[in-house]
Amino acid sequence: MPVLSVENALLSRRGVLKVGACASAFLATAGLSASLSGCSASSSASGFAVLRSSDLAFLRALIPVMLAGSVPASSMPDAAKATLNTLDDNLNHLSPALLSLTQQLLDVLAMPVTRGPLTGVWGRWENASPEQIRHFLQRWQNSSLGLLKMGHGSLVQLVMMSWYECPQSWAACGYPGPPKI
Amino acid sequence: MPVTDPFREGLARGWKTHDGSQLEGDLTLEADVAIVGSGAGGGTTAEILSAAGYKVLLIEEGPLKTSSDFKLLENEAYASLYQEGVGRMSKDGAISILQGRAVGGTTLVNWTSSFRTPAPTLEHWAREHAVAGHSEEQMAPWFEQMEQRLGVAPWQVPPNANNEVIRNGCEKLGYSWHVIPRNVRGCWNLGYCGMGCPTNAKQSMLVTTIPATLENGGELLYLARAQRLLISGDQVTGLECQAMDSRCVAPNGHKITVKARHYVLAGGGINTPGLLMRSNAPDPHKRLGKRTFLHLVNFSAAQFPTAINPFYGAPQSIYSDHFQWKDGPKGPMGYKLEVPPLHPALASTLFAGFGQSSAEQMAKLPNTHMMLALMRDGFHPDSPGGSVELRSDDSPVLDYTLTPYGWEGLKRAFHSMAEIQFAAGASAVMPLHSDARYMTSLRETRDQIDSLSLELYRTRLASAHVMGGCSMGENSQMAVTDSLGRHHQLRNVSVHDGSLFPTSIGANPQLSVYGLTAKLATQLAERLKSS
Repeated sequence: MPVLSVENALLSRRGVLKVGACASAFLATAGLSASLSGCSASSSASGFAVLRSSDLAFLRALIPVMLAGSVPASSMPDAAKATLNTLDDNLNHLSPALLSLTQQLLDVLAMPVTRGPLTGVWGRWENASPEQIRHFLQRWQNSSLGLLKMGHGSLVQLVMMSWYECPQSWAACGYPGPPKI
Repeated sequence: MPVTDPFREGLARGWKTHDGSQLEGDLTLEADVAIVGSGAGGGTTAEILSAAGYKVLLIEEGPLKTSSDFKLLENEAYASLYQEGVGRMSKDGAISILQGRAVGGTTLVNWTSSFRTPAPTLEHWAREHAVAGHSEEQMAPWFEQMEQRLGVAPWQVPPNANNEVIRNGCEKLGYSWHVIPRNVRGCWNLGYCGMGCPTNAKQSMLVTTIPATLENGGELLYLARAQRLLISGDQVTGLECQAMDSRCVAPNGHKITVKARHYVLAGGGINTPGLLMRSNAPDPHKRLGKRTFLHLVNFSAAQFPTAINPFYGAPQSIYSDHFQWKDGPKGPMGYKLEVPPLHPALASTLFAGFGQSSAEQMAKLPNTHMMLALMRDGFHPDSPGGSVELRSDDSPVLDYTLTPYGWEGLKRAFHSMAEIQFAAGASAVMPLHSDARYMTSLRETRDQIDSLSLELYRTRLASAHVMGGCSMGENSQMAVTDSLGRHHQLRNVSVHDGSLFPTSIGANPQLSVYGLTAKLATQLAERLKSS
């Protein structure tokens, strides 16, 4: 499988210590080339403080998969939209160093040349099935590359934290909300 | 009864403050003593020095938020009141690090637990780290002074159900437990200490030492990042600060130059070593930023047949030190058992799942109990802690090393927590690990814990207590400052914060910072008289 071959190539040719550096260079190069080639917009998308148009297709595919089960299907579009807006605001408060790491991660996920080999999703995110997305998250969580494990953790935390900061998520987890002072 | 906002009233009366985000040009400020950081160490130092008649300038990177700004909402609080917009983590991303960043520092958002530095810790520092003059007896009056100042007393109200689990479980098992002393006056028992106290009951620096400093004619500069100390020989001749935008994310281009006789660094672990590194401060023995400790925390979730409502009520009121010192300070890793409050966003990041399984866990939130273990790192040779380094943009980050010794402590803590949770009546327990699920008996849970691969990323790890990195001690080859916080190489620089600690504390550290810095500041006030 092409997906495995990328990771295996990284693993087989170099020692474990070098894998991190190699993958890091790979990801950084991907992010850099994305910025240079104009594949990823450098400015934010309309209506967002930080998120770029190139980030949106992935996040709009990812969020409903992560929220599944915590919101009825009929409310999913609103819930996903609220999550995306909260996520944008959270990114807008991250330190520049952490925002830059997050944007590199999103670049790697947006660009076909890295998305396919690293996620196994070869078509556009709009066309990815929930099953494909869950599979990609699982392979990152179980990857031997620390960077992909870190990427998995970041995606889960960013999305889930943003969703549970939205008041419309509270009823389903039995949280009555803060008391009135 | 309407809640007043004494800080805003003080501002209206004419307290002198400078908002970096509102500057329209560069600024120069002068003071007898410039204090970088307005948390436990900076606030305490500011009050004592200003009361002694010195002109004090308090410098805070974060925003000024007061009780009327605190809406008890996770999104607002985390993004505005925590370091790096609550994104701070270890360099490898495997450990979340919660540190405050606002006027009041971490005291604004901590959970109010107030313990004196344990005697075995002070003894260990004297014996192993050449710390002089800080024995239990010598420190007692300083702790007492700060306990009175900040209303520290054991919590009189019955614990919430989340904390009661520790008491009930330990009682059943014959393990020791105690009531936590808290720094509150007139607490409403709401449970939102981590989002800023809306009633000013928590005796944070925002409502105690900082107002006292401003009443005494001190000044406060906020939304200003201390970027670089200007060093000439063994003297600091100035401090360059960058004014920040109102989100506290990026510098807005204006500079503030600070001139003072003496500079006190109180930005806390990670930040204080970071400032000294950016300043190319002398570090002949390469001690700066080394031995940074975290009280690394792991978690155990439990389901109860009755409601726990872990989001309401004083967040921490019961603890157990049963496993803290049983093998001596240098034995296998000891740990303190406490609980965190569980609001939805925090809970979801701890469970760290998504989709159907996450939804099922979150749906049970009202019946969920969460316990945590604070690892007492830094006492054993195999617990070296982490090192602070600078990223390419000069911001500091912690590279923390977890050794097999540390993992062994985490594993025992998983066992202890599960045992106590079942003894208290839990119907199911789950260690927070990617491969774990709820198990309905202690035996199954123990088997699960023993079978888990304890490794980074799969094990949920966090820290709210960054300590060390500017270790104190009389031996300048081992320490950055002497026992009075005086920099070993720079004559007019002192460190007054948790970065002084040569190891972790073995208890929530705020009162350790208050007591120690009250002592250091009082002695600094004396020295400044004669210099």
